[in-house]
Amino acid sequence: MRNRLNGNLYFCPVNLLAIESSCDETSAAVLVDNQIRSNVIAAQLIHEQYGGVVPELASRAHQQHIVPVVERALADAKIPKTALDAIAFTRGPGLLGSLLVGASFAKALALGLNIPLIEVNHMQAHVLAHFIGDSNPAFPFLCLTVSGGHTQIVRVRAPLDMEVIGQTQDDAVGEAFDKSAKLLNLPYPGGPLIDRYARQGNPLAFRFPLAEMPGLDFSFSGIKTAILYFLRDQIKTNPQFIDQNLPDICASIQYTLVQMLLTKLKRAARETGIRDIAIAGGVSANSGLREALQKTGQELGWRVFIPAFEYCTDNAAMIAMAAKFKFDQSDFVGQDVSPLPRMSF
Amino acid sequence: MTLHFKSLDELDEVANLLLNEAGPHRVWLFEGDMGAGKTTLIKALCRALHVVSVVQSPTFGIVNEYTTQSGDPIYHFDCYRLRNEAEALDIGLEEYFDSGDYCFVEWPERIEALWPTPHFRVQLTADPTGKRTVKTR
Repeated sequence: MRNRLNGNLYFCPVNLLAIESSCDETSAAVLVDNQIRSNVIAAQLIHEQYGGVVPELASRAHQQHIVPVVERALADAKIPKTALDAIAFTRGPGLLGSLLVGASFAKALALGLNIPLIEVNHMQAHVLAHFIGDSNPAFPFLCLTVSGGHTQIVRVRAPLDMEVIGQTQDDAVGEAFDKSAKLLNLPYPGGPLIDRYARQGNPLAFRFPLAEMPGLDFSFSGIKTAILYFLRDQIKTNPQFIDQNLPDICASIQYTLVQMLLTKLKRAARETGIRDIAIAGGVSANSGLREALQKTGQELGWRVFIPAFEYCTDNAAMIAMAAKFKFDQSDFVGQDVSPLPRMSF
Repeated sequence: MTLHFKSLDELDEVANLLLNEAGPHRVWLFEGDMGAGKTTLIKALCRALHVVSVVQSPTFGIVNEYTTQSGDPIYHFDCYRLRNEAEALDIGLEEYFDSGDYCFVEWPERIEALWPTPHFRVQLTADPTGKRTVKTR
């Protein structure tokens, strides 16, 4: 990739195509050097084009989406597939059926174009999404990765050298949001609705117990049960309790969950002495978490990094970013690679 | 069999009793409301079966695979997010059920047509005082 030009080292642009299909979204992105040129997510694309419901879960849906999504990503980036230098894909963690679609497609395309294949860990990619754009944390930094399926604190020493130092022992925090919403008779997944109602409510209106977990680990299954009993008791004396108090209930639940996250994050920062703190994953779109993190950061002298909304939820741009670091180290995989649904790092 | 328990300390004993009761059954169906303690009970069962992986809720990923000390896989399903039985077939549920490995299934109500024979049904309820009842069939 390096040519000499006028005596100076000249870098040809590196063109990467990345594919993400670990769970519900089929996504493809094109990265040219360190710039994301396109980032297409299927659910949105199909909604735009056809309206109606997309069977998000089925791997069959990934099979239907993958070709148009990749074509659109290449078209938006204005490069032909013959200009690609490598193909990256999410190897795990995720749903096996969904991962297989992305992996098989990536392998076939890499083979057809005779270019290298790069495997990416979805959770590492969430962390590395912070290197899209100009505001990047410095190494080492801590990243709180929070989503519907994951809750972990990651210590990041270098782009490809990171370690999980705390994680949930049961439910993910996004799941706690979604299931709390369900207990409030809101549609599933209702995490974003809790956020919306919480903005008009009093976060200290009701108290829920904070889970006691050793070290930097989390537990979110107890709060679900606590909310269930709380609602059951209140409804006994006032059948309209939920309807009459929805903003206060949502604000109190959100406050409790955010406090549980921040307590461990503060502890991790204290124990490691690290003050560059990032968040990633779908729940980092939660406004309560964003505000509380900014406030805590100001109090404790942290530099806080919050990704743009489009890079919070699952997307292929973050896979492309992670793949670029691997490309620079010629960290490629062969055609015999297979998905790892419970991939760790 | 019907068991009652109140404290989490009793879970390991409950798990051992259930494993005895289930005998050769490998596909276990766990029914119970949200917050009844299905995932917590499955964590205890995995402990009793010497699982070395972290047992987390599979709601988002639909299926988690764990490994026991001796290297056997255990599958932990949550059908909560499945909208119909076709989606369960898409993730290969039948292949998992036929594998002969332990399959612990939460929210099996969503996939009733796919229940294998034989299977082991565990119903979990919590009363307002926090007392839990486990019934098996």
